[in-house]
Amino acid sequence: MPEFLSPVLAVAVFPGGLFALALGLLLKGIDRRVAARLQRRVGPPLLQPLFDLIKLARKETLVPETAVTPVFRGAPVAGLAAMVLAAAMIPIAGVYRPDPALGDLLVLFYLLAVPAVALMLAGSASGSPFGAIGFSREMVMMIAYEAPVLLALLAVAVRGGAAEGRPGCLSLSAIVDYQMRNGPLLLDPVLWPALAAFLCFLPANLGVLPFDIPEAETEILEGPLLEYSGPGLGLFKMMAAVKAVVVLGLAITLFLPNGPAGAAGLALFIVKCALFMIAGVTVTRTAMGRMRIDQAFRFLLRWPLAFGVIGFAAVLVRW
Amino acid sequence: MSSYRIPVGPLHVALEEPMYFKVDVSGETVTAVEIVAGHAHRGIEYLVAKRNIHQNLVLTERVCSLCSNSHPFTYCMALEQIAGIVLPERAEYLRVIADEIKRIASNLFNVAITAHLVGFDTLFMQVMELREIMQDTKESIFGNRMDLGANRIGGVRYDLDADGRDYLAAQLRHVARELLEIRKIYEGDASFLRRTRGVGVLPAADAARLGLVGPVARASGIAADVRIKAPYAAYDRLAVEMQTGEDGDVWSRTLVRLREAGTAIAIIDQCLKDMPGGPVSIPSIPDIPAGEAIAKSEAPRGELIYYLRTDGSDKPERLKWRVPSFNNWSALPVMLKGARIADIALIVGSIDPCVSCTER
Repeated sequence: MPEFLSPVLAVAVFPGGLFALALGLLLKGIDRRVAARLQRRVGPPLLQPLFDLIKLARKETLVPETAVTPVFRGAPVAGLAAMVLAAAMIPIAGVYRPDPALGDLLVLFYLLAVPAVALMLAGSASGSPFGAIGFSREMVMMIAYEAPVLLALLAVAVRGGAAEGRPGCLSLSAIVDYQMRNGPLLLDPVLWPALAAFLCFLPANLGVLPFDIPEAETEILEGPLLEYSGPGLGLFKMMAAVKAVVVLGLAITLFLPNGPAGAAGLALFIVKCALFMIAGVTVTRTAMGRMRIDQAFRFLLRWPLAFGVIGFAAVLVRW
Repeated sequence: MSSYRIPVGPLHVALEEPMYFKVDVSGETVTAVEIVAGHAHRGIEYLVAKRNIHQNLVLTERVCSLCSNSHPFTYCMALEQIAGIVLPERAEYLRVIADEIKRIASNLFNVAITAHLVGFDTLFMQVMELREIMQDTKESIFGNRMDLGANRIGGVRYDLDADGRDYLAAQLRHVARELLEIRKIYEGDASFLRRTRGVGVLPAADAARLGLVGPVARASGIAADVRIKAPYAAYDRLAVEMQTGEDGDVWSRTLVRLREAGTAIAIIDQCLKDMPGGPVSIPSIPDIPAGEAIAKSEAPRGELIYYLRTDGSDKPERLKWRVPSFNNWSALPVMLKGARIADIALIVGSIDPCVSCTER
């Protein structure tokens, strides 16, 4: 196999592309099912998200007259592309090491912002006032959660890199290597504040309760997604599915990547994704209501930011 | 800040019925509200004059689903006033029981919707599960989950034997137990409180000026309840606790409704205890003479007034009703002024608007 093909395959098939999409849809199915059980409902079949996609694919994408058509059609494609690329950057211990050419932690951090930007573009291009409100809310959320999570990422990078003699090394593979030798950072008390900051970021970035404010159905009717239908909406749903894998995969990489090689390692990765999904997303979203945008802004800039700063400072002091 | 006008309705996912508001917003803040009424006018008042008095009993029950017992109840009271019919005492108690059962279910429904509107769907499910007990109870006693068909001119169409009374009492015990737990959540859950306290405040002065009724007025501290101020049916013999709030916000309206569900259980308990024996309706319905009458009752949403004029024929000459939601939605511009976009649906939902009653 030619040298250049392996990153391409990584992005298109495994662990990006098809694999990430399938895993994302499965995680979404698990989330819906567990949430239903927590609410004493039966819940949909595990494959419901896939059925939804198939249904959407067979429909027509209606573009509103007021919309800016190229942006309206392009935004979901850009968002999905960024996430598929990001999925190929997540290492799976013992199974997959991303090609350094794909980029490091910082590139991943920027790619993670693309879905939010895509939603903002979609909202503003749709010509709907609810899209515009969704745009402004999405932007406020992004401003609020970016700083804390960046601090958490840096804390892990410095901790992992310091032990390797290269503090500030932003390679995800290096972070995994460090933990494979020294045990998961989840058990390292110095990094618990960073973990807390990351756990707050999880629902905010994935747009679930109590932070599903930019798409709040009962307030602004799904906001940016309001005017989307058919394959266009399907692309956004695929983007959300792959994004869940990226963000959960990032959580696993940062705090608990350890696992055996081969098929068992892959299975363990999937199980860990599901557990992080249930603990970090499903339980949170069934246990509380939605925050208002001003409340969420204040909350995110208080606790997670404080955790992020403390976590980063703690790592620096120990180093 | 950019200013623009957003449509809320006529069909809005968060509102159960077609309502149409044009809301001017500046950024996330509401600056003005225009209520566009009459979107779903159905001409039922006209229809009433085309049907005979018995058919109208069926028709008024179908004006609205949540207050479906209040309409025929009040209609019967107006008719009985004109014809000078005196009800057997047992029938009066049975009417109260039917009405209070509907009140529990209706209040729980709104309380559940409020949780849904703040995105707390687990709480929504929990309250709806509790309401389901009332739905089962209605189906067991009346044979139907929504329209009870309990009233007839001069009495009621159902009776409770010893088994029925025991069953109803047991179901109410069950509901009362769960209600306590649910109240704890509504009173103490941080994520619910931060969305509902101080939101959509209606000062008592505005509530009085706008002539508000029902739980909305009571949550603003106005002690007005038809069951206490102008008792009808058996209410003059029953102890009805007045439930008022102080803050006049979404939270206190929700709690007043929850507490009134508790009061309704207490009222039904008294009825079951005090209810005398005897017939449940008059043996035959006399001809209705020409005349006019006004009857009012406390529907789940507040004071419901029926004006009825007859001309001696079997069809009413004119029937006009004023529903509680008609008064209450005049409070919306006050509540919504300066509110956040996020709270629009929540505030509208908090007056428990019954559009099918209002736009009949």
